[in-house]
Amino acid sequence: MKLPAIPKLGPTVWGIAAFLVVGAIAAPWIPIYPLTILIGLLVFAALAYSMNFITGLTGYVSFGQVVFMGTGAYAWGYVVGTFRWHPIGGVLVGAAVGALLALGLGAVTLRFRGVYFAIATLVMPLAAVDIILVTPALGGGQGIILNLGFEPLSWFYTIWVILAIEIGLTYWVTHGRIGYGLRAIKGDEDAAKTLGIDAARLKLFVFCFSGLFTGAAGAVNAWTLSGVFPNDAFALLFSLQMLAMVVIGGMGTLLGPLLGAVVVYIPHTYFLTVVVGAEFIVIGILIAIIALVIPEGIVGALRRHIPALRRILE
Amino acid sequence: MTMVLSVAEVRKDFGGVHALRGVSLSVAEGRIVGLIGPNGSGKTTLLNVIAGVEKPTAGTVTLDGRRIDRLPAHRVVELGIAKTHQIPKPFLGLTTRDNVGVAVLYGSRQDRDVARAFDEANWVLRLVGLERHAETLAANLTVQDRKRLELARVIATGSRILLLDEVFAGLSPDELREAMGLFTRLQKEIGFGALVVEHVMRAVLTLSDRVIVIDEGRKIAEGPPQQVVRQPAVIEAYLGREAARAAT
Repeated sequence: MKLPAIPKLGPTVWGIAAFLVVGAIAAPWIPIYPLTILIGLLVFAALAYSMNFITGLTGYVSFGQVVFMGTGAYAWGYVVGTFRWHPIGGVLVGAAVGALLALGLGAVTLRFRGVYFAIATLVMPLAAVDIILVTPALGGGQGIILNLGFEPLSWFYTIWVILAIEIGLTYWVTHGRIGYGLRAIKGDEDAAKTLGIDAARLKLFVFCFSGLFTGAAGAVNAWTLSGVFPNDAFALLFSLQMLAMVVIGGMGTLLGPLLGAVVVYIPHTYFLTVVVGAEFIVIGILIAIIALVIPEGIVGALRRHIPALRRILE
Repeated sequence: MTMVLSVAEVRKDFGGVHALRGVSLSVAEGRIVGLIGPNGSGKTTLLNVIAGVEKPTAGTVTLDGRRIDRLPAHRVVELGIAKTHQIPKPFLGLTTRDNVGVAVLYGSRQDRDVARAFDEANWVLRLVGLERHAETLAANLTVQDRKRLELARVIATGSRILLLDEVFAGLSPDELREAMGLFTRLQKEIGFGALVVEHVMRAVLTLSDRVIVIDEGRKIAEGPPQQVVRQPAVIEAYLGREAARAAT
């Protein structure tokens, strides 16, 4: 029997690439308001892909994911505000801090499984807020307010590059040896170990990616707000939205986080201008429906029910 | 060089329970050693200690003279020793081929080439007779096929010494005959050594070159299969003192 060829670069990759390239070319001609919406969508997508690394691929639910977003934002605000760094330099620092924090926290918390990991991560942003509030160098309760000006195209291309790298890495991870190791861990961690998989190292590896990109996205988000504020930067809401995006789109898939970002971000912006808070009702109902009807998310459900899409959707 | 696994005076306590009280044995590549004993005698614990899943309280496990008893499970597999699970633990959400492919990609080969690994996985699937189910999700396999998958995965790791935990249990007489035939063929083809924990006496006595009997964490007998099962200590461990007296 011949092994079915592993599609080198399938339609999903080309589709995502086309979306990104068209966006990059069109950006200078997009009117301001839709452009800011698009920037927000890309930030959400970057967050979704970073959550996908840990929760989508290993099944470890990272409830405290926002801690990397918040520390990325603060690292950005600190070097831009105090050292007058260029904001893009600040984004790189935010990414590095996110990755290092994930390395440190992951080394401890990834030893816990299931709900214990979720709880262990959940307390991290709560602790971070308390630390920030008593740290004058980071603005304490006031936060860091910068006067950077309105530069949507800089924001757009920065988050665009981050997202493109992130999707590329997701492809590399999901299609390579590491992806099989991670799927094995997600399936049965003990069995994975007895087949030679260094589960602790592999989990920490993807958790660092996750922290890196969450930190970078948090930094860009702070840049668009021209400041960082303690309670907003570490809001549990972001963790929940990240989880919602991955679950709705399809855990561990290549396209899922992008679809999830669209489904979560559109009500998010729409209801901000209509009834604040109503987005949670919409997202909550969506998640309930998805959990009941299609627990594998949009991508998984499409693959299961429409055989023609199986070779196309990843 | 022929690989030799040695277990020396291994003890394992779980709190106040002494699961193993000093067991020694050795398995060489190419040889089949049967490990039998009543329920709760410590067989599975011993396999777990060798596989690095449990750390021994005392004693040593060595592979070609090198200590492996402090290594984590994944390192033990890399060195060429792999264990099946008494209750099969397939990755339910993956296909049968992916289950085996994972074992090739990691295991002792650590082959980084995915395409080549899956060629290898196809070969193993054919070898154990699971090629019809290559695309089937492991969740949809029958119990018998899950046991085959356990065997396929340890073979796919490229291990030279297999630790098989009741791979013949729960099979009908026909299935058992088939499974034993399969095992013999595989062993001839690959030449692995194995430590076989088994309750199905017919399988142990037919397949093993040597049999070790443990009871309450101690080795009570060792030797050629037919000879060992006639020893009074063994009959006593299984059937009680009366039966042992009656038999001799």
